[in-house]
Amino acid sequence: MNAKASLFLVIRTIKRGNKSSLIMILFMMILIFINLIFLSSVFAGIIEGANKEAINNQYGNILIEPEIDEKYITNVKVIKKLDNFSDEISVSPRYVNNTVISFDQKKDGKNVESGKWPVESIDVYKEKSVTDIYKNMSVGEYLSPGDEGKIIIGREIAGGEGSNSTNNLGNIKVGQEVDVNFNNGPKRTYTVKGIFDTKNSSADSTAFVNQKEIESFLGVHGLASKILVRINDEVDEATYIERLRDLGFKNEKLSPWYELMGMTEDANKSFAMVSAILSVIGTIVAGITVFIIIFVSVVNKRKQIGILKAIGMKKSTIILSFIFQALFYAVIGIILGTLLSLLIIEPYFQAYPMDFPMGWVSLKISTQILLISSVSLIIASFIGGFVPAFKAAKETILEAIFG
Amino acid sequence: MIISTKDLIKTYKGLVPTKALRGVSLGIEKGEFVGLMGPSGSGKSTLLHQLGLLDSPSSGQIIIDGKEVTNYSEKEKSDFRLNKLGYVFQFQALLPELTAIESVYLPLMLTGANKKVYMEKATKILEEVGLGERLHHLPKELSGGEQQRVSIARALVNDPDVLFADEPTSSLDTESSLSVLKLFRRLNNDLGQTILMVTHELSHKEHVDRVIWLEDGKLKKK
Repeated sequence: MNAKASLFLVIRTIKRGNKSSLIMILFMMILIFINLIFLSSVFAGIIEGANKEAINNQYGNILIEPEIDEKYITNVKVIKKLDNFSDEISVSPRYVNNTVISFDQKKDGKNVESGKWPVESIDVYKEKSVTDIYKNMSVGEYLSPGDEGKIIIGREIAGGEGSNSTNNLGNIKVGQEVDVNFNNGPKRTYTVKGIFDTKNSSADSTAFVNQKEIESFLGVHGLASKILVRINDEVDEATYIERLRDLGFKNEKLSPWYELMGMTEDANKSFAMVSAILSVIGTIVAGITVFIIIFVSVVNKRKQIGILKAIGMKKSTIILSFIFQALFYAVIGIILGTLLSLLIIEPYFQAYPMDFPMGWVSLKISTQILLISSVSLIIASFIGGFVPAFKAAKETILEAIFG
Repeated sequence: MIISTKDLIKTYKGLVPTKALRGVSLGIEKGEFVGLMGPSGSGKSTLLHQLGLLDSPSSGQIIIDGKEVTNYSEKEKSDFRLNKLGYVFQFQALLPELTAIESVYLPLMLTGANKKVYMEKATKILEEVGLGERLHHLPKELSGGEQQRVSIARALVNDPDVLFADEPTSSLDTESSLSVLKLFRRLNNDLGQTILMVTHELSHKEHVDRVIWLEDGKLKKK
C-alpha cells in the first residue's frame, strides 16, 4: 500500500474534478451530518427543557421533606441556619395544604367549578430566589410580601387557553374570588391576583398564598412542609446534600431533583432510545449515500483503475484512494455541518425555541452528540467507500480497461 | 534473451471456448525493437497481454529477464509490472486530473522515490519525448499525439526492461503516428530500449528491427 500515492490521486481528483458535483456532494454530506445531530439535539433539548422546568418551577435542585410520618420539618434552628448557610444556595420553605378550591362565578350556588389542589404558602423574597414562577405570570401579578387575601393560581387550576386539565375553575379571571377549603376544616375566600403558566403541569396545578397569612391561620411559625433548595453554582447536588446533612438535617428526606422526576425520567429514557434508533437509521442512510457516491465514481473511473493497475499500482493503494475520497467528503461534511449547527441553527432555536407541552425547547448540541455523530459518519463513510472500491479493484486489468 | 515463451496457450472460457493462442514459442533479445503483426483476431493483443503480465495464460511458460513469471501471484505481478515493464495503450490512457508531469512521476512515486528524484526524472524524460514545454498541461490541453507521448514517457520513467505498445498509433493522425514511431526508434537506438509493438499497419515494418507474424493464434514465417 502506498498512502502517499493514494492521497496524491484523491487530492488531484478533488482539485481538478467537476466542481458542481463536488459542491453537491459536500452539500449532501452537510445535510446528512445535520440530520444525524438534529434529532438527537432536539431530544436532548426536550430532556434538558423538562429538567430545567423541574428545577426552576417545581423542586429546585434539592427538596427537603419531613421525616417519615411527620407533617412538618420541625427542626426550627436548622431551618433558620439555612438563611446564612451559604451564598451558593437559596432556600424557600413552604407550607403545603391540601385543599378544595371552588369558584362560583354568579355567586348563586349553581354551576360551581371546584377541584382538589394543593395551596402552598411562600415567603415571596425567598421564593423569588429559588423558583422562576414569578417570571411566568401569564395574567395579573405575582404575590407581594404584604398581600392578604390574595392568591395566585396555576394555569391548570384556572382553566382557559393553555390549560390541559379537564377539571379546572372554568377560565377564572384575575380579580375574581375563590373559596379555599383547607383539609383541616377552615374555609377562606381569596382574590385571584395572578395566573401563572410555567409549562410544568405539576407546578401549574398549584396555588400560592403568602406565608405569614398561613402561619397565623395554622398557628405555626418557622416550620415548613418542604424546603426547596436552589444551588447557584456548578457544585453538584450530592455534595450539597452531604453539607445539608452535616448542617443538621439528619433524619429529613433530602432528594436531588432528578430522583423526583419519576414519569419524566421514564420519558427521558424513551426519548434517548428513540434518538439512538433514529441515529442508527441516519448512519445507515449516510453509509448508503456514500456508497452510491463512491460507486458512481468507481464506475466512471473503471478504465482508469485498470490503467493504474497496469502500471503497477496495488489494489490496496487504489482502494485507499477511494476511502480517502469518502473520508474527505465525510470530514468536510462534519466540519461545515458543525459550524452551521453551532453558529446558525443552535442560536436560531435558542432565540426562537419550540413550544413543547413540557416546556420551551431549543436544540442542545452537546460535544457528546457531535462526537458520536462524527464518528458514526466517518465509520459509515469508510464502509461506504471501501465496499465499491474493493469490488472495482478486484476486477482484472483487462476487464477494467476493455470492459 | 530478455523474453522467451514456451508453448503459450490462451483459451477464453465461455459457452464456446475461444482459442486465442495455440502454442506460441518465441524469443526476443535485449535491445530489439520487434513488431507483432497479423490480421485482426490473430491473437496479437492477447499475446502482448500475456507477455506484459496483464493476463494469465491457460498454459505454457513466460520467462522475462531470466525469471519464470508465469505463476507469479497478483502482488508479484504488480511489483514486476511497476519495476520491469512499461505499457503504451492504443488509446490515450491518461488520468484526466493529472498534468503531464504528474502522470509521468506517478509510477516513480509508487516505487517510493522522493519528490526531488521523481520531479527531476519526469521532467527529463518529458523533455526527451519533446514535451519540455508542456509539463503542467492536463490531457484535455494536449493533442492526441502529445497525450500518447506522455503515455510513452510514463511507460519509460521506471527504466523498464521491456516497453510494450499495443497499437500505439491507431488513434492518431498520420503525422502524429510517424512522430511516435520515430520516437520509439530513437529510444531503441539511443537508449537500447527493448520494445515490443503490436501493429496492424504493414507500413510500420520499416520502423522495426524484426516482425513476429501471428495468424490464428500461431506464429507464421513471413
